[in-house]
Amino acid sequence: MSKQNAIQLSSVSKTFDGFKALSDADFTARWGEVHALLGENGAGKSSLMNIVAGLYGPEGGSLFIDDNPVKLKGPKEAAKLGIGMVHQHFKLVTPFTVAENILLNLSHIQTSGLYRERLRRVSDDIRAMAERIGFGIDPDARIDQLSIAEQQRVEILKVLLAGAKILILDEPTAVLTEEEAENLLTTVRGFAREGAAVILVTHKMNDVLRYADQVTIMRSGRTIKSLKPDSVSVDELVKLTVGESAPEQTAPVEQRTPGEPYLNVKGLTSTGGHRALNGLNLTLNKGEIYGIAGVGGNGQSELANALMGIPEGVEGTMELIGEGDLADFDAARRRAIGVAAIPADRYGSALAGPLSIADNFALGDIHSGRYGPFWYLKTGAIEADAAEAVRQFDVQGVRSLKQKSALLSGGNAQKLVIAREFSHPPKLVLAHSPSRGLDVKATEAVRERLRAARDSGAAVLLISEDLDEVMAMADRIGVMSAGRIVTEFSQPADRQAIGQAMVNHV
Amino acid sequence: MSDFALQRPLTKRRYTLEVRQQMAWHWQALILAGSMILGLLISGTILVVAGVPAGELLNEFVILTLFDSQSLTSVLFQASPLIMVGLAGCLAFRAKFWNLGLEGQMIFGAIGATAITMWDIGAPSMRLPLMIAAAMACGLLWAVAPVLLRLKLQVNEIVSTLMLNYIAINVLLHLMYGAWKDPKDAFPYSPKYESFELLPELGNGLSLSIPIAIGIALLVLWFVNISRAGLYLRFVDKSPKVASAVGVPVAKTILMAVLFSGALAGLAGLMVAAGQEGRLTHSFYVGYGFSGILIAFLARNNPIAATCAALLIATLFVAGRSLQVFYQIPFAMVQLIQAVLVICVASSDFFIRHRIRRVQGGD
Repeated sequence: MSKQNAIQLSSVSKTFDGFKALSDADFTARWGEVHALLGENGAGKSSLMNIVAGLYGPEGGSLFIDDNPVKLKGPKEAAKLGIGMVHQHFKLVTPFTVAENILLNLSHIQTSGLYRERLRRVSDDIRAMAERIGFGIDPDARIDQLSIAEQQRVEILKVLLAGAKILILDEPTAVLTEEEAENLLTTVRGFAREGAAVILVTHKMNDVLRYADQVTIMRSGRTIKSLKPDSVSVDELVKLTVGESAPEQTAPVEQRTPGEPYLNVKGLTSTGGHRALNGLNLTLNKGEIYGIAGVGGNGQSELANALMGIPEGVEGTMELIGEGDLADFDAARRRAIGVAAIPADRYGSALAGPLSIADNFALGDIHSGRYGPFWYLKTGAIEADAAEAVRQFDVQGVRSLKQKSALLSGGNAQKLVIAREFSHPPKLVLAHSPSRGLDVKATEAVRERLRAARDSGAAVLLISEDLDEVMAMADRIGVMSAGRIVTEFSQPADRQAIGQAMVNHV
Repeated sequence: MSDFALQRPLTKRRYTLEVRQQMAWHWQALILAGSMILGLLISGTILVVAGVPAGELLNEFVILTLFDSQSLTSVLFQASPLIMVGLAGCLAFRAKFWNLGLEGQMIFGAIGATAITMWDIGAPSMRLPLMIAAAMACGLLWAVAPVLLRLKLQVNEIVSTLMLNYIAINVLLHLMYGAWKDPKDAFPYSPKYESFELLPELGNGLSLSIPIAIGIALLVLWFVNISRAGLYLRFVDKSPKVASAVGVPVAKTILMAVLFSGALAGLAGLMVAAGQEGRLTHSFYVGYGFSGILIAFLARNNPIAATCAALLIATLFVAGRSLQVFYQIPFAMVQLIQAVLVICVASSDFFIRHRIRRVQGGD
């Protein structure tokens, strides 16, 4: 009997405290194909794949691996069956080296020999595998020295070396530049051609159309349809995903006359050994969106941190005209001035996951006294404002304002951050990859908020590794490379020329 | 790919474990109470095995301890400093500051209060308020160094607070065997306080320290639940990394909570010295540091629960003492009961965080 199906799930359900994340979902992926799992944020894609990876136990339904019924007790067991998952948020120990991280994951395979001996053997394996699939990864590099794209490669090497034949990639291109994404998807398609099964969890139509052999569409916990991507039009695919008429394509950015300068960054340089920022100069005007484009790892995160007041060793000035240097302001002063920050790492620097939605929201206006003096917190006022903001910013999945914010899906968590940051009309908006991991509707909602802020006179700085986003949003575009802005473009800008500038200075 | 063993299909699974999003507070209280009752039942069994007649247990523990006015008075008498150290623990632990220096702060609180009596500072009518202020100030000051070291230089507070206890103990012994020793007494005690230096009785044997303790518990409740500092503390407690990024003044919040904690430990020192012993003694602090940590843990850093837990521990002490006298049960048994309670409460956490749910099988 020839075994064709790598994974088969039938009528799988999963409930989280009363909320049906999956209801009777079916999914089949075959050996040798790239299978895209398409759906909006919160459609249940990750939950379904977490069941395959042994992280969640399903409540009914059955799972077959290679046509055998299995019951996974945990991720280790899934790994033994050749299932490897690369999560959207990487599971790497940052101060450790690549080889150490991978060895950690192989603990159930590599048990004999001295530690150093095993580490050396793993390093050799990494080099061999990296060379075979065209990943330039040094086994001795520390994780925190690697860019996001490189860390992702480490994750892929990790599961491959653990013997994965079924590779699940959760939103792999969300953090990558166009070119990096292309390379990655070409590589994983190569795995499929060699007989592995690759599952691509995504909400990007382009990835699906260009790289997938089969696509399964999910919507609110159900698998809607499984089909060949070349058998349908994009419109149809979008309709199946969204379930209703899709949001309209945004019109190209028109030319605008910018206001007067508001933020003046001069000679921003990292103080550490590695010059992540290297004499960056930048002027941001009122009433414009300034987009920073560039290949990931060219100092974007460091710039965002420095501007948002997240600890980052830098020298140079970040003068807010008429106010003073941003570096001298504490959080209360920033809020009073009207600085809104939307960091890339939502749960690392914007939302306290274990705390309630109301608590997280309250910080937005806590210093002004709107929620009572220091000795008395007006919970009623906080909850009323939070409820209003949740409604206005369309934050979904809120069953109670007292619910932990960690339970919101990525897009809704981002909306909550924006709702808090925009609870006062902002004068300066700092946004770093604001639509990362968000679906079409949520992305458009986020962008609309940024445009509205710009139209009401705010200076908006948009740092994004997604060139499409920068092209669609920015009035002026600065290309960042090796820690500085190397070229600036005004709209209408030539995409080709920007792409050239991004890679030429690396 | 096909060489793995055939396993039971998923449909046989009958129970699943879910992480709860939230749990209504009354359910939490119920689960907590249930686990405490379970702990008491286990403890009762141990006592029966140790030779206490089963029929006498209820009598000994509940009737004679809580329904006898003299015993009840002694429970309350015992409880107030325990409430103080318990609240001190709650405050520090909420700020993620492991204050193991409750005893040191307590000792300095009592030394501060005794200094007022030794040097006759203030008029008799002002003496007690001055002593209270001195006790709180000295307890607070003893917490300053470790919290600043932690905030400025990342010095581990577990080590620094613990070591400062030994310094405090030796300062106490130095005073008790030296300058402050009562010449009329063979023991290393300070001279007895004057009558106006003692926490007054409110008639029927109750000391003023009980209303003070309850008042302070309400103050702490306000601090952690109603004031803005409480919101900041929640951020520091649950997501320290996010806290500073979103604008919580982390260092100030920790400083405030820890100094408050030290002041309450100092007040506990005064309650023992001026409420129970009537003087400073060389070993009045023994056991309070651990009890404070225990109470804060049992109460999940909740001030009201800490007050209840302190009363429970006080009851155990009083009942334990009579068990010792009447049934020759070693005092270690009381400690064993404490430990059993802690284990039961710790495991109840699992049910507050998770839900076990029966799932309809698909076959």
